[in-house]
Amino acid sequence: MTQSLPPKSLVLHADDDPDDIEIVKEAFKPYPNVEVVSFGNGEALLENAAYLSSLGLNPCLIILDINMPRLGGKELLKELRNRKEFDETAIILFSTSTLPNEAAFAKTLNAGFVTKPLHAKQVDQIADIFITQCPEEVRQRLRQSGRTDH
Amino acid sequence: MTKKILGPQEFKELEEDIQLTLLHNDGVHVGKRKLHGKTLILFQLHGFYVEILYKEYRKKIYYMLVSADTEMLQPYLDQIHVRDLQKHKGKD
Repeated sequence: MTQSLPPKSLVLHADDDPDDIEIVKEAFKPYPNVEVVSFGNGEALLENAAYLSSLGLNPCLIILDINMPRLGGKELLKELRNRKEFDETAIILFSTSTLPNEAAFAKTLNAGFVTKPLHAKQVDQIADIFITQCPEEVRQRLRQSGRTDH
Repeated sequence: MTKKILGPQEFKELEEDIQLTLLHNDGVHVGKRKLHGKTLILFQLHGFYVEILYKEYRKKIYYMLVSADTEMLQPYLDQIHVRDLQKHKGKD
């Protein structure tokens, strides 16, 4: 008898900085049932999120860098919130600075705001911080997918 | 009550963990650059600048250069969003 694997929780991430893409991928490594799909710009995330959603693959979390060429994180957040399929998806603006106006902007669109880490201890905590910003249902699902600390 | 603004000398005297927490919570990211394969990030904190040179990006730090000299901005000029930089009086 075959046993099906539990479905993976999909996390979409857009950032034009390849180093920061690696940081986020690494942060979710302790969660083997989380699949992080990354894009180098906002337009690519928007197109792919719409396509994946049409296939019934809805992300449980979307992480957006703020400063990206062509389509920045704030514009992309507005665009996603205008689409029925993403109007309630957990979205986090992931920024290099703690600017109060940007955190307030995220809040007005029911999104979270997380400042990028500066050292190893913060990097280790970043996945937990992302998860904490998600709605309860998403938090439970991501935590069920397990943290496999060594 | 007026919040005391930290100066560059006082910042230098803090432990690294505290320095990084302050930068993380209150710093304004100015830009990022590469030098000999290593990554550097410049922050503005109140009225001075802190440049972090990483041994391993966002993990291990070689050193932090702290100064109020605007020459620190020079290598980052093409990345600066003026509206994001804070005036010396800082945030409320």
